[in-house]
Amino acid sequence: MDNTNITDKQLLKVLKQRLEEKSDIEKRFAELQAEHQSMGKRLKDSEALKSHFISNVTNEIVNPFTSIIGLSKAILSVEKQDWKKIVSMVALIHNEAFNLDFQLKNIFTAAKIEAGEILPNVQKVHIRQLVQGVIDSFSIVTRKMGIDIEFDYEIQLGFGEKDYYFNTDAEKLKQIISNILNNAVKYSYKNSKVIVKCWIDDDLLYISVQDFGTGISEKNQNIIFERFKRLDTGINSINQGHGLGLSIAKALLDVLEGQMDIKSVKGEGSTFTISIPRLKVVNTDPFGGDDGGMFFDTDDDVDLF
Amino acid sequence: MEYSQHFLYPSSFFASREPYVVKTVLGSCVAVCLWDPTLRFGGINHYMLPYWTGTDLASPKYGNIAIDKLVEKMKFMGCRVEDLQAKVFGGGELIESVDGRSATQIGLRNIEVAKNMLADYGIPIVSSCLGGKRGRKILFFTDTGEVRHKYLEKRSL
Repeated sequence: MDNTNITDKQLLKVLKQRLEEKSDIEKRFAELQAEHQSMGKRLKDSEALKSHFISNVTNEIVNPFTSIIGLSKAILSVEKQDWKKIVSMVALIHNEAFNLDFQLKNIFTAAKIEAGEILPNVQKVHIRQLVQGVIDSFSIVTRKMGIDIEFDYEIQLGFGEKDYYFNTDAEKLKQIISNILNNAVKYSYKNSKVIVKCWIDDDLLYISVQDFGTGISEKNQNIIFERFKRLDTGINSINQGHGLGLSIAKALLDVLEGQMDIKSVKGEGSTFTISIPRLKVVNTDPFGGDDGGMFFDTDDDVDLF
Repeated sequence: MEYSQHFLYPSSFFASREPYVVKTVLGSCVAVCLWDPTLRFGGINHYMLPYWTGTDLASPKYGNIAIDKLVEKMKFMGCRVEDLQAKVFGGGELIESVDGRSATQIGLRNIEVAKNMLADYGIPIVSSCLGGKRGRKILFFTDTGEVRHKYLEKRSL
C-alpha cells in the first residue's frame, strides 16, 4: 500500500496536473464547439442561398416565357395597318429571349463546372472578332438603354501578319466577357457608356471592361465573386440575374489559367480586367509529352506503384 | 493491350470500365486513384485545394468534393466502396517562403484531406508518393490499377 503514503506535496502536484489536463480538454472542446457553430451557420446561409436561388430562377424563367407567349400572341392578332407595332413587340421578345438564353447558359455552365466536366478546348482564336461578336450580341439591349459600347482594340500586328490570333478557349472566353459586359451594362446608368479594351503585355492578353455606373464599395468587392450573391443596384427596380455570373467567370478563368482584377469606386463606376496566358494546344497522347518529348523519355527514373 | 488515352485536367475527374491510360501533371495538387480489384477498373481525380469554403461554385477543384464525386461515380458504375483501393499522389510544396518552409502548405493540406476522407470511407491507401518539393507526372492504368510515376525537374512547374 505504497501509494497511500504519498506526501501532500505529491498529491498537490498530481491534482494540479489533472486540473491542467482538464482545462486543456475544455479549451479544445470550446474550440470544437465554436467550429461546429460556424459550420452550422455556414450550412444555414448556404441553404438560404439555395432557396433564394430557386425562387429567383423560377421568376427568371417563368416570367420571360410568359411575356414571350403574350407578346407573340399579340403579334398574331395585330391588324395589317398597325404593322409598326410589331417591330416594338419583336424587340421586347428579343430582349426577353436574350436574357433567358444568357441565364440558361450560365446555369448550365455552373452545373458543368460543379460536375467537373469543364475542359479547355484550345484553338487559335481571332480575338478582335470574338470580342466584337460579344459586344454585338448586346447591341439591342444597350440601344434600348442608350448605352454606347466603345471598343478600343490596341493590339498591334506584327510584320506580315494580317490578323491577330491567340491560343485559348473561344467559348469560355466568350462567356467570361459576356458575363463581365452584362454586369457593366446592368450596373450602368441610362445614356452612359461602357469601354471595352484589348491589349497585349508581356505575352498576356488583357481585356478590360469599364463602366461609369454605380461602382462597388470596397467591402462588396470581396463578396461579388461568391455564388448567388447580388448587389442592390439602386438603378433598376427589378434586378435581373441570379448572382452566378462572376463566380462562373472566375471558374472559367481558372480553366484558362487567367486572372481577374477589379478597380471600382462607389458612385463612379468599375473596371474589370482579365488577363490570360497563351495556352498550349494539349497533346492528348500520354506517350508524347507537352514538351514535345516523350511523357516518360527514359525508364530509369520511373517508379511503379 | 490497346489503351485509350485521357489527359486529366485539374478540377476534373475520370473513371471508365474500358481500359484507359490517364495522364496528369501534379504540383501541389493531389490525385486520388481508386481501383476495384474485383471488377478490375478504376478512376482518378485531380484537385487543387483542400476544402470547399461554401462561397465558390462547388466544383471538384476542392478535395472534399473531388473525392466524394469520384467515389460516387465508382459506386454508380457498380463498385462497392468496401472493395475499393486507393493510391494517392502529389501534394508537393513548390512555392517556398524565405525560411525554406512553404507559406501556405497547400500541398500538405491537400494530402490531409485525402487521408482523412479515405479513412472515413474505409478505403485503404495501398501505395502513395506524396509531398516533397518537386512536381510529378503520373500515368494511371484503369484496368490494372498500375501507376507510373516520375518526378519533374524543379523548373518545369
